[in-house]
Amino acid sequence: MINKINSILFLSALVGMYSFYLFTPTQKVSLGEKRKLAELSTLTFDTYLNGSWSHSVDDFIDDHFPFRNNFISMAEVFHASKGIHFKNQEKLFIGKKRPSDKKNEEDTTHAKMNFKDDFEEAYSGSLLILDGSVYPVGGGSPKMSRFFAAMLNEYADKLRGRTRVLSAVAPLSSAFIPAIKYRKFNTQNKETLLAIKSSLANGAIFCDVFNELDKHANEKMYFSTDHHWNAIGAYYAYVAFCRGAGFTPVDRNKMEKRIKYNFLGSLYQLTRDPSVKANPDTMVYYVPYVTTTAVRYNANNFDRPTKANVFSHACSGGNTYLTFLGGDAPLIKITTSVKNGKKAVVIKNSMGNAFAVYLISHYEEIYVLDFRYSNHNLLQLIEKNNINDLIFALGMYGAQSQGTIGMMRRLATNNGVPKYKPPVVSSDTNKVTRPVNDTLKID
Amino acid sequence: MVFSSLTFIYLFLPLALFFHYLTPNKLFRNISLTAFSLAFYAWEEPMWIYLMIFTAIFDYYMALLIERWRGDKKAKIILLITVLVNLSLLIFYKYGGFLYDNLSAIGQLPFDRPKNSLPVGISFYTFMVISYIVDVYRGQLKAQRNPLNFLMFISLFQHLVAGPIVRYSQIGSQVDSRSIDWARFSTGISRFCIGLFKKIVIANVAGALVTKYLDAGFNDLSTIEAWFGITMFSVQLYFDFSGYSDMAIGLAKMFGFDFDENFRHPYAAQSVGDFYRRWHISLGKFFRDYVYIPMGGNRKLQLRNIMIVWLLTGIWHGASWNFALWGFYFGSFMIIEKLLENFLKKVPRFLRHTYTLILIIFSRAIFYFVDFGQLKSFVGNLFYSTNSISIGFKSDLFEHIFWFILVVLMCIPWDEIYPSDTKVNMEASRYYHMLKPAFNIAMLFLATMLLVNSSYNPFLYTRF
Repeated sequence: MINKINSILFLSALVGMYSFYLFTPTQKVSLGEKRKLAELSTLTFDTYLNGSWSHSVDDFIDDHFPFRNNFISMAEVFHASKGIHFKNQEKLFIGKKRPSDKKNEEDTTHAKMNFKDDFEEAYSGSLLILDGSVYPVGGGSPKMSRFFAAMLNEYADKLRGRTRVLSAVAPLSSAFIPAIKYRKFNTQNKETLLAIKSSLANGAIFCDVFNELDKHANEKMYFSTDHHWNAIGAYYAYVAFCRGAGFTPVDRNKMEKRIKYNFLGSLYQLTRDPSVKANPDTMVYYVPYVTTTAVRYNANNFDRPTKANVFSHACSGGNTYLTFLGGDAPLIKITTSVKNGKKAVVIKNSMGNAFAVYLISHYEEIYVLDFRYSNHNLLQLIEKNNINDLIFALGMYGAQSQGTIGMMRRLATNNGVPKYKPPVVSSDTNKVTRPVNDTLKID
Repeated sequence: MVFSSLTFIYLFLPLALFFHYLTPNKLFRNISLTAFSLAFYAWEEPMWIYLMIFTAIFDYYMALLIERWRGDKKAKIILLITVLVNLSLLIFYKYGGFLYDNLSAIGQLPFDRPKNSLPVGISFYTFMVISYIVDVYRGQLKAQRNPLNFLMFISLFQHLVAGPIVRYSQIGSQVDSRSIDWARFSTGISRFCIGLFKKIVIANVAGALVTKYLDAGFNDLSTIEAWFGITMFSVQLYFDFSGYSDMAIGLAKMFGFDFDENFRHPYAAQSVGDFYRRWHISLGKFFRDYVYIPMGGNRKLQLRNIMIVWLLTGIWHGASWNFALWGFYFGSFMIIEKLLENFLKKVPRFLRHTYTLILIIFSRAIFYFVDFGQLKSFVGNLFYSTNSISIGFKSDLFEHIFWFILVVLMCIPWDEIYPSDTKVNMEASRYYHMLKPAFNIAMLFLATMLLVNSSYNPFLYTRF
């Protein structure tokens, strides 16, 4: 009898899951993982023979398994139950190796890139978890800073006498780990960023973001669960920028203060560490009292702009950081009620989003261009719109990779030809609205 | 395809069972099982299926010829040709690149390096057909008359990818006709679930620690971390391999076959010799019956025979010198144990067990590091390292503490401590029998959960 029950139960489990499989609708993307889920490749003689069809079936089944998200959440409970977790324990998280981890892969063109912020991705592979906060291990290299400065110098030379070039690069959060033994990362970050200063020429202006943040190292300037700085860190960077640009920063107490709770960001998604989960971020952010309108352009031209927001207050949960500018976009134009005739272009990666929103107090027009997704020509944009300031505001990740520096350099010669399809996430509904056709390999 | 995949568990297995049990017709069942086995084999690398089918057809006819000319010189010639062809295929596909590299180091070769990838399961099915052919030659077996049945024996998906090395003498009668009942089917399910649990919950978790400690900067390891890393590799290797064997044995039962045990609590061994009577038993038996005994066994040049068998065992595991060194290492200790047999018998049980475990765990380093430079550096760290303990080592220990306890419990040979005629064993068996449906579902659920979780692959930035 028991044998019958055992057999029937087991078979029912297999068949039951199989039935769910057949009758549950399939998702196209996983928002938590920020990636497209696997698709079945077409069965042909060739795809069968080279094994790619079989692999696509394996990947498809893995990615579309019934109750996948529930199983993943439960697995977290299992991993947490394997032993004892002490609150103050240090841990090192080594991430999965991905195809993009190939360090020596030559940086060629946009067309070959699935994603080129490889420094950032690589850093996500080695993370220190301390007191429920996640930090990258390291602090960049002065050698790479000189490549970044050389790119800025080229722009400064081309724009000499017309547009100022300013550098506002953010340190990694590792610079401010609250433990003496990690002080070395503070020095490493500092040396990396000061190397930009010492290599700048042609009148390019260095904004000492590191020093300004270091003065406030006892405040929480970076998220514990996400790889970005928070609005306070970005504010101090803005103060440093104002000092470099000759502006008077607006006191954040004179802005509207807002708060968002329970933010578990990208580094939690990556590590799934219980101590990080137990330490969700609260995001305090400041909205300048400036009236703005904003539009978003596609990657290649100025056709059919869509409405954008400087602040997307509705963003919450895992998408809390999308509050700033509604997330990454190829090009956003912000028009403000500050009628001083000043115009700026901000070249940025996602770190620049939280920074750029403070600039609305100082410019009448701001073009926020994400160098990873845009095919616009930067020099034409500057010339056509009489831009006063060209501001490079990005996380150190972007200034430490040949790939990303190359992308910023190529903005000078872009001609609006589509090369890469950027993601478009509707910040209000958190739904992905754009079909894609990239061939991301899931490892 | 591997057993520990969602594709296998929830797609392949239900379909294979459905078609196998669709009718009681024996021919249909064998056709269905052969078709599913070939599909299983062809899943990863369809190209290599031709090689396996060629081997099956070739050996099928050769066995018939040997049987026809048994007792005649012709049978011996056919036997030699057959063994030679099978070994040549194995050597060409598995050791071609290795031989080329070594020979080209001596002098320039007139041809390019072979670019073959290793056909899945070739090490296993080559030994299966060799044992079959030799047994037919020796008159211990009647050659299989039905080519379909022979192809099914070679290609059975249950043993194809990672063994055990199943002999025709074990399952020959079941190839022709199998009796299946609920008890056997249920036993198969239980064994499959245990194997799946061992693979997913133990081996894969150990594997993550191995990657962390042995892959990422092993040069920077402290001595304790180096031992921890290599111990975790020992855990991974055992639970991975024995888990796979358990799944194979369980699946075989579900389809009406009885495979022999391949592992018997190897980490409870009292000597190196004892260890290899408990570890990958089917391989040990193959070398014993087809190499060691024919060379003279313990009657003639025993020490030489031991060393040859161990060098072959080492090289069977992979085409690299480290595997030969690994074989030499074990061969040497087997010989030392033979020479010190009387002394070792007097050593307390606990010390014998400790000595064996240390030797085995150390041997895993030779197994793991294919590169001799890396091996040297790692072994150096095993004995002396000025590196301090790295960030997170302590938390890794604490965060796996319950899992470590489970691993130790699962390595203990409970059935040897409490044999089947003891009260404890009988009581435990009774409770297990009653609770096994729940245990199996729990293990399946846990394994599914972790398999699904392994597909979790988040990115920092959206990549739609």
